[in-house]
Amino acid sequence: MATGATHGERQRPSFSLKERLEARSLATPFKAKLAAVYVLITIVLLLLFAYFEFDTAFMAEWLPYIAGGVPLTLIICVGGIILATALAVFGALGRLSKNPLAQGVANFYVSFIRGTPLLVQIFFVYFALPQLAFKEQTPTFLQPFLVYDITFAAILALGVNYGAYMSEIFRAGIQSVGYGQIEAAHALGMSAGQTTRRVVLPQAVRNIIPPTGNEFIAMLKDSSLVGLAGATELFYRAQSTGKAESRAYETLAVAALIYWGLTSIFSFFQKRLENKMGRGYVRELASHGH
Amino acid sequence: MRRTRLLALVSMLLLVVATACGGETTAGGGGSGGGGNDSGQAGKEGNDLLAVIKEKGVLTASTDAAYPPQSSRNSQGELEGFDIDVTNEIAKRLGVEVEYETPPFDAIVSGSWSSRWDLSVGSVTITPERQAVLMFTTPYYYTPASIAVHESNSDIQDIENDLDGATIGSCTACSYEDYLKGSLELTTGPVESVIDDSEIKIYDTDSTAIQDLALGDGVRTDAVISALPTLEQAIRDDVAIKIAGDPLFYEPLGVAIDKSAPEDPKAFFEEVDRIIKEMHSDGTLTEFSKKWYEGTDLTKKA
Repeated sequence: MATGATHGERQRPSFSLKERLEARSLATPFKAKLAAVYVLITIVLLLLFAYFEFDTAFMAEWLPYIAGGVPLTLIICVGGIILATALAVFGALGRLSKNPLAQGVANFYVSFIRGTPLLVQIFFVYFALPQLAFKEQTPTFLQPFLVYDITFAAILALGVNYGAYMSEIFRAGIQSVGYGQIEAAHALGMSAGQTTRRVVLPQAVRNIIPPTGNEFIAMLKDSSLVGLAGATELFYRAQSTGKAESRAYETLAVAALIYWGLTSIFSFFQKRLENKMGRGYVRELASHGH
Repeated sequence: MRRTRLLALVSMLLLVVATACGGETTAGGGGSGGGGNDSGQAGKEGNDLLAVIKEKGVLTASTDAAYPPQSSRNSQGELEGFDIDVTNEIAKRLGVEVEYETPPFDAIVSGSWSSRWDLSVGSVTITPERQAVLMFTTPYYYTPASIAVHESNSDIQDIENDLDGATIGSCTACSYEDYLKGSLELTTGPVESVIDDSEIKIYDTDSTAIQDLALGDGVRTDAVISALPTLEQAIRDDVAIKIAGDPLFYEPLGVAIDKSAPEDPKAFFEEVDRIIKEMHSDGTLTEFSKKWYEGTDLTKKA
């Protein structure tokens, strides 16, 4: 036994540094390591921040004004996503329709809008349509439908643009409902409408809602483009202040942090929604306990 | 059953698509950017713009809010500057409130505002080209156009010779861009450029060009052409530039009103013009100029 002990004592110091570090690492929970990385990133960022002498007093002074663009950003995005959802329903049904007119129009809509840049669309709605409105050949009753203030133009452009992308999401969601389900519904004597309403849509919605949340978060970021047309939303406020005050880095850093905060908040809710919607699909949830 | 439902859906879809993106199909032909020469007939509707503004009680003005000391926002988000003071005074004398829109400057000078704003007190240079689409009041001030270089620059002594072939920054759709191209025409006639073969670098607004210049001598641009007061304001804000040489030319700046406004702008234009003249004679404009331009009176013709 004594020899065994000496044997053990001799061996312990012979662990290499690498081995000892590995052992220590194994003993440390992953979450603690992750936390350490975050702390490190924060320290590095703060050091850079201090090194480049970001004027925090200036940032604090302008924060309320720049953050004052958040309500408009949210109004534009909420309006945009509602319009996009409505258009996507039509777009998806049109794409799936056996009617050539419906399918043709829907195909054109999705292809054309997805094939042109969002910024071009925003500028088209805000700058080009109003110029058409007052042409001789434009009927007077159409004029109010062609001239928008920047907020409405932004909602329209973002809604139409995202509607095209979401048409594809909705179409996939509808198609993901197994054909057997539809056959079963028919076998039970349901009409086509009943099948759609009671069988297909409830199941499709479950596939559609989570990606729609993602689209909303993407739109939060894309909405910054409407600032270029003069909407006094978050990005406009940051960049125009940056120009006027010659402080592009402070103002844009403030805007970036606010966008990040917003997307983080919505991502959190999106995640919860996704979990809730997917509950019915998750098996052996309790046994594995992620 | 199914068919009718589909038909209803399709017609709704068509309607939505037609109203929402109906314009897009004509994108190639219709939206030729600045083109405002079309249908300059005012007063198509027979409504009077002045009456409409007074009835609403609101004057909508457009401004480029990144153009200090003429127009910029303070940290409370309030607009301030020489142009803003003039706008507010015009509204006050019209007896109405004022609201601001902040479209890009090139959208202001290209006309065809489609009644989204009523006037622009945006330091707009009066040129015959712009007069084709806009109506200008009597100039409310005169601004010298100058060249700035990076503060470390020592090569550019004589702007008439040393800047030939240089990269020079200018705001887009500005009189300065036309000047560098040699195509600037003021109401007094063509203005000949003393700078030859410059490579023009276009920016959305003057302050962006100035900040690019401040990055270093020749880093992104060799020089910037802008209004002297704007350059001087940047220097006061510790931007690393300096003025080179004497002003190149003086330009008269007027309040702009859209010629093709859907409501007849004639009476409105005359009223604003009268107010500007009144503000000249009662010293209001001089007072504003001294307030924003370090005691200089820019309201008299140079």
